[in-house]
Amino acid sequence: MKRVSIVGSGNVGGNTAFFLAENGTAAVTLVDVKEGVPKGKALDMMEAGPLRGYDTHIDGVDDIAAIAGSDVVVLAAGRVRKPGEDRADLFEDNAAIVRSVCARVRELCPRAVVVNLVEPIGAITMLAQEELGFDRTRVLGIGGLLTSTRIRHLVAQALGVSPRETTALVIGPHRASMVVLKDTVRISGVPVAKLIGDERLDAIIAEARRAGDTILELAQASTSFYAPSAAAVTLIEAIARDTHVILPVHMRLEGEYGVTGLCLGVPAQIGAAGVEKVIELKLSDAERRAFEQAVTEVRTALANEQRRLPAK
Amino acid sequence: MPRKKVSIIGAGNVGATATYYIAEKVIADLVMIDVAEGMTRAKGLDFLHAGPLRGYDVPIYGAADYAQIADSSVVVITAGLARKPGMDRMDLLKANTEIVRAASRHIARYAPNATVIIVTNPLDVMCHVALRATGFALNRVVGMAGILDSARLRFFVAEALGCALSSVHAMVLGGHGDQMVPLPRYTTVAGIPITELMDKATIDRIMDRTRKGGAEIVGYLKTGSAYYAPAAAAAEMVEAILTDRKHLAPCAAYLRGEYGVEDLFIGVPVVLGRNGVEQILELDLTDAERAELATSTAAVRKGVDELKTFFKVA
Repeated sequence: MKRVSIVGSGNVGGNTAFFLAENGTAAVTLVDVKEGVPKGKALDMMEAGPLRGYDTHIDGVDDIAAIAGSDVVVLAAGRVRKPGEDRADLFEDNAAIVRSVCARVRELCPRAVVVNLVEPIGAITMLAQEELGFDRTRVLGIGGLLTSTRIRHLVAQALGVSPRETTALVIGPHRASMVVLKDTVRISGVPVAKLIGDERLDAIIAEARRAGDTILELAQASTSFYAPSAAAVTLIEAIARDTHVILPVHMRLEGEYGVTGLCLGVPAQIGAAGVEKVIELKLSDAERRAFEQAVTEVRTALANEQRRLPAK
Repeated sequence: MPRKKVSIIGAGNVGATATYYIAEKVIADLVMIDVAEGMTRAKGLDFLHAGPLRGYDVPIYGAADYAQIADSSVVVITAGLARKPGMDRMDLLKANTEIVRAASRHIARYAPNATVIIVTNPLDVMCHVALRATGFALNRVVGMAGILDSARLRFFVAEALGCALSSVHAMVLGGHGDQMVPLPRYTTVAGIPITELMDKATIDRIMDRTRKGGAEIVGYLKTGSAYYAPAAAAAEMVEAILTDRKHLAPCAAYLRGEYGVEDLFIGVPVVLGRNGVEQILELDLTDAERAELATSTAAVRKGVDELKTFFKVA
């Protein structure tokens, strides 16, 4: 059985462990610097197993050395947004944490595929990849997949149908300027725009863009974590079970979509080794323009972030 | 609320495998009806014996007496003769019409509120027979065809691209035969039409293989036809109806003007829920697709017309 280690046992880390347990995907090690929290959550999950019907092994530890030899390492440490905060505001705090975690991951799990959930996704995934020195196909961030599942939910709700047969691809950065590929928003292969009209689809996409803020405003004390954990587990499953599924993921681009040296969301085929293949799509003129504008924005942000990068 | 009951008419390979798939979902009590009473009872018992190991816990009962289907929410008709090499098509049509008609009358009597899923071939014509013989509302008789055909198409696409099955979706219209109309531009990988991912020759080859998907299996089996995938498709429809899933998928539905077709069962995208066919969706078709659909529809129409020459009630 594969082993997945999750660094950070907050809401996202904890729920990712829980979904993995229910799916029986892999043995899970939950790590946190907060002594007792990962142990307590892991024990709670193990004790739910007899009722929920899983016998996945879940370990909780406060010493990161326990992750040695993991097949997948999930970065879920760091701080999340408070109401009114922007994802970019998290960079300095989270960069310091991710850097120190990656230094250990590099030595403890040199062959792992790393999945990043720490915000801001693009900048932190990029930083993690540099810090780890792993091939860019093994350091992936969750971004478009989360927006994708939100669009799928909203579309299914608008149509009054089950979301299972829906699809939606999102590329570019995980921020307001993300690019939703409207033609890929489909149900059982049929373009949703043809069923509900362009205007309603545009409204849904706008709602999905601010879905993270909507949840933060409602919950106040926490950001969304069920859907982000579900997105993480979808990606982890693809790696742990070598499924070759096609998902939007963040990765460092080296020429794909005409971009070099930036971490952005693209559709990719995922298997045991991480990204097997990036799928390059023809973009419409409008999508191309939106994508290029987003790339410019990300480049500017990156320059700012690099200035704010704390000293090692 | 008591668990719902699903009855399967015909406990051959398709019927029994569908029963098994539905049992594993733990969503309904199950009854299998077959004229071969001993075989049916045996299969029911065998399934129950596997339950402790497979983790399902629903009653499964095999019988010959239709009284057992009383108050079923869904009834699946799989009974019928399979097409054998050299068999006259008209003889098959006549034999299966008798079987489906008899089953339908029992259903109308014992399970008057059921939704009926037809699996027996020739599919679109048998749907017509069941609709007339049950006298049920138009939305409560539906045929299993497009979900099977699109499942095969999805497999072929995933195989050709080396990607996961779960990333592939597909839409197939028309009658359930080699004149079915698979739609390449509505066949997608993660929402991307395959027309952007594969060359035309590969797509043509896959569409052709889809049209002949059933025949390919018969060619290997020689004395039988496919049953794992057909049973899986039927089980998917049962689940959609029982759990009111609002599953948008291609099924044979009775058309009254949609796609320019009147008084005929044809494979179209529908929404399946607790009321059976709850919606029929009309897609924009290209001229070529429309022409293919017309050819397919004409073939089904011919079958129904033939039926009318033999039977008064059709």
